[in-house]
Amino acid sequence: MAVPAFLLFAVFFLYPLSQGIWMSLTDWDGISRANFIGLRNFFDFFKDSRAIADIKNTLIFALGSAPLLNLVGLGYALLMNGKFKGKGIARVMIYLPAIISPLIMGYIWYMLLQPDRGFVFHALDLIGKSSLLGNWLGDYTACMVVLVLVNVWQYAGMTMVIYLAGLQSIPDELYESAKIDGAGFWDSFRYVTMPMLLPSIRINVVTNIIGSLAVFDIVMALTDGGPGYATETLSIYIMRMCYGSKTGYSTAVAIIMFFIILIPVMISMRLTREKE
Amino acid sequence: MNSAVNFMKHLAIILICAVCLIPFYILLILSLNKPQRIFYQGNLFVPDFYFQNFIDAWQKSHIGTAIVNSAVITVESLAIILIFGAMAAFTIARFDYKFNKFVFWLFMSCMMIPGIINTVPLYALMIRLNAINTLWGMSLVCATIALPSSVFIFTGFVKSLPREIEEAAIIDGCSWFRVFWKITFPLLKPSVAAVIILNGFGIWNNYAQAVFFLQDTKKHNIPQALSVYFQQFAGAHWNLMAATAVIAVIPVIVAFLIFQKSLMKGLTAGAVKG
Repeated sequence: MAVPAFLLFAVFFLYPLSQGIWMSLTDWDGISRANFIGLRNFFDFFKDSRAIADIKNTLIFALGSAPLLNLVGLGYALLMNGKFKGKGIARVMIYLPAIISPLIMGYIWYMLLQPDRGFVFHALDLIGKSSLLGNWLGDYTACMVVLVLVNVWQYAGMTMVIYLAGLQSIPDELYESAKIDGAGFWDSFRYVTMPMLLPSIRINVVTNIIGSLAVFDIVMALTDGGPGYATETLSIYIMRMCYGSKTGYSTAVAIIMFFIILIPVMISMRLTREKE
Repeated sequence: MNSAVNFMKHLAIILICAVCLIPFYILLILSLNKPQRIFYQGNLFVPDFYFQNFIDAWQKSHIGTAIVNSAVITVESLAIILIFGAMAAFTIARFDYKFNKFVFWLFMSCMMIPGIINTVPLYALMIRLNAINTLWGMSLVCATIALPSSVFIFTGFVKSLPREIEEAAIIDGCSWFRVFWKITFPLLKPSVAAVIILNGFGIWNNYAQAVFFLQDTKKHNIPQALSVYFQQFAGAHWNLMAATAVIAVIPVIVAFLIFQKSLMKGLTAGAVKG
């Protein structure tokens, strides 16, 4: 009974994956005959300054996004872990952004952050600080910061829920015995909470690394990869190359991207496993 | 001291909730402003209550069709994931054959590969299958992407179920196939909820694959319809953009509010087991 799942997966995942490896060695443009060109696509990739910049953009986004998401999510979870009135509603509200399409979220923040006419500008104007808001989406550094923050804003709730689940599975007795042993807040956090939270940490770190290195929707909506190619990420590059009739080349980029994702994922899996 | 800490804690939570909700409120205001209104005109929080925007947005965009398409894709994909995924997980958890072990290993190692990696070669395959611009094609693609993690969740859950009832049914002459459908599948309910929730919203909101496989206006799903519709405005007509976005967001929020209890439970079950 595992056969239907295997067949579906073989046709729509394994077969294209193996085709992709072959296509990456050709000059196929999507229509005419493909010619075998060896590793030229891979050499071309590393010679293309736009591609190198895209790797850099993707890595910067992930380096900002993945750790911040985990810190904010863990902070939220610690804050929400006790019993208090309205906990359920608060959890729903914080989780809400995560269920909305990141594309729509990107458009909303696009309208919020426009200089001169966005909500943030006018809100700052009310307190006489409108000069604080520059043209963030048109500025090379600022738009990357905005992308990271919007992404963190959207998915902090999801990270929080997984940390909350982990926190709730820690038995109270552990904290009590830590207290008897004279542990303060930080000690019990370090020696009880963190080790017990390791499975949740692993899930969150790994999913956030994959998610942020493959980021697509939110960048498309908020900056469209711009200004220029300043926030273009690898997934957008793949799509544009595919539409630009460089089909073979774009599969080569996908293979490079696969390794860019694989390495940090393997490292973080190893790190969270050894401590267990 | 303690009550001061408590107060700060509550204040922080209220602030966090506000930060999460304010963008939605602004979206609502924008969607209710008259087209000629120059942005906020000294009034940030009260809109014009101009409902014509929604009528215009509904008629000019293809958002109605897109909602139906997204719904069809989501239901079809989830049905495939649930049936194929649960069947595979049952077999993997109960029968120690080499093939089953191989399938499980395969799914686990491919779980980390984001869909974008093989989207381009998949595009070539989809052309040959005549599956471009079809809802069934998109459903199969979305189902395939979600399959590994679902098999993982289901397998963990089936392993935690006792074998005794199944074995008793076999002794009574029931086939394994019937045992699965009559006994095990109904017991999978909590993990079915987890799988639906973890994948449903993602499939509903899928854009990275829709860009490739749903280019025909009649077949657009929600994100694809919105992005195509918004591109023609080039940053103007915020009232229409906002109204369309509100229409697009409503079904998701309604579904979320209805299912939020089982969502939180499902996520917890999925996370703790995963």
